[in-house]
Amino acid sequence: MKQSLHDDQIQSQMLPGVLTRDGMLGEDRRKLRDILEADDAAVRRLGLTHARIAARMRELRDVGAAGLGQALDVLDHFEVRVDSARGGLPCPFLHEGLFAKEYVEVLNRRSGERLTFTELNIHMIEAHGFYEGVGSFFRQDPQALARVLEIQA
Amino acid sequence: MTALLIAIGVICAINLVLTVLLLLADATIANYGSCTVTVNGEKRLTVEGGRSLLASLKQEQIFIPSACGGRGSCGLCKVVVLDGAGPLLPTELPWLSPEEQRTQVRLACQVKVKRDLQIRIPEALFSVRQYQTEVSGLVDLTHDIKQVTLKLIEPREITFVAGQYIQLEVPPYALTDEPVYRAYSVSSAAAQKDAVELEIRYVPNGICTTYVHRHLKVGDRVTINGPYGEFRLRESEREMICIAGGSGMAPIKSILLEMARTRNPRKCRYFFGARARRDLFLLDEMRELEQALPDFRFIPALSAPDEEDAWEGERGLITEVVARHVDDASQAEAYLCGSPLMIDACVKVLREKGIPEERIFYDKFA
Repeated sequence: MKQSLHDDQIQSQMLPGVLTRDGMLGEDRRKLRDILEADDAAVRRLGLTHARIAARMRELRDVGAAGLGQALDVLDHFEVRVDSARGGLPCPFLHEGLFAKEYVEVLNRRSGERLTFTELNIHMIEAHGFYEGVGSFFRQDPQALARVLEIQA
Repeated sequence: MTALLIAIGVICAINLVLTVLLLLADATIANYGSCTVTVNGEKRLTVEGGRSLLASLKQEQIFIPSACGGRGSCGLCKVVVLDGAGPLLPTELPWLSPEEQRTQVRLACQVKVKRDLQIRIPEALFSVRQYQTEVSGLVDLTHDIKQVTLKLIEPREITFVAGQYIQLEVPPYALTDEPVYRAYSVSSAAAQKDAVELEIRYVPNGICTTYVHRHLKVGDRVTINGPYGEFRLRESEREMICIAGGSGMAPIKSILLEMARTRNPRKCRYFFGARARRDLFLLDEMRELEQALPDFRFIPALSAPDEEDAWEGERGLITEVVARHVDDASQAEAYLCGSPLMIDACVKVLREKGIPEERIFYDKFA
């Protein structure tokens, strides 16, 4: 699909210094529409959906949040720490409202791999299929998510 | 070929002219000149137009609290702008309640000074000052919390109330190309006026915490401003229930030190939550306070102690431990400091134990 003017407007919100210091695109120079389509294809190749991935992220976030900022051992072999800072961030896709500045650190004890994602990441994947640009600090690679969080097709 | 070169040359020349015109326009049309900002109907400041209200006030040594460095993502820098600010911006709306919008509250970081402004700010902010300091101590309290001691250089003394916080300025470095400010509670005694002590927990990719944990050295110069905040010991004889976790220790410790100095006889229980032994710190200092204060008890609790910790103290999440220890708290008051998640969970437990919301005081800085 061709990038629309609306997509341009959204992509401008993702640039460094607009909503966040580093932005959400990293070194990715592709159009937003191309980023979305490439990740959508990657998710389909995994036999997953954005909703399924977001649901697993939220499941881990919710059980980890009970630790009140301390790491918890959850779901057999995961260690999850959910912490939060004062303030909130708006979604670059121009919704109303704010998302808590909350980050979730997940350690898969079985594989030793770690992931860190935010409340906003979960929303952007669930609602927009957006995993951030390649090189962005909070970029969530669909394959890494599926592997580390053990999301089954 | 010649025609192509001429065409390229013409395009370059046009681009150059357009660029010069844009630069001229920016320097003239967007030049707002000097503007007057009248504060609380009395103080008149002459500032250069075109900058944010937050930056303009800082230039005039009036410091409005801000935890996000002026990006409109913390909602702290609220001021009343009575005249001259223009319409509310979409970036402000999420932070302002209908009542605040009605009473002309604005985010100082989002309001650009383009004409004369009339604003209203709390009088207490006039006593906020900027301080040049030198790092005189850096101690690893745990694997991810550092104690930073800043000796005051100019001015040489600070007056604050135990529980308040300061803002630390991070200079440009690898993670930021402009100075940014972050808020940290003071952990040292208010009676000690020539230095402030902070407890700073490392946050992944955090601008300030990375700077403090990876770059700051003893002897470095650091700029701070403050003090700020309403978190402080209330005058009463009620039993106190204090709850903190991680670097939330800081303001509670400062309050306890002040209580020890004034020989405050109030009953006080301090619940401190951590995951394992390696996340606990200042245990000796807390035991000393138990000796110094007539009715003070420190109750550390571990949610997942390691086997080698051989932990015999309280176990469980801090909310569970508080629920076990506190029966009827309807006459008590509570002081909390920690992440928003922890505060929200603790407020729920304390409400269930009978403490009315207006007697639960907290500092939600993570």
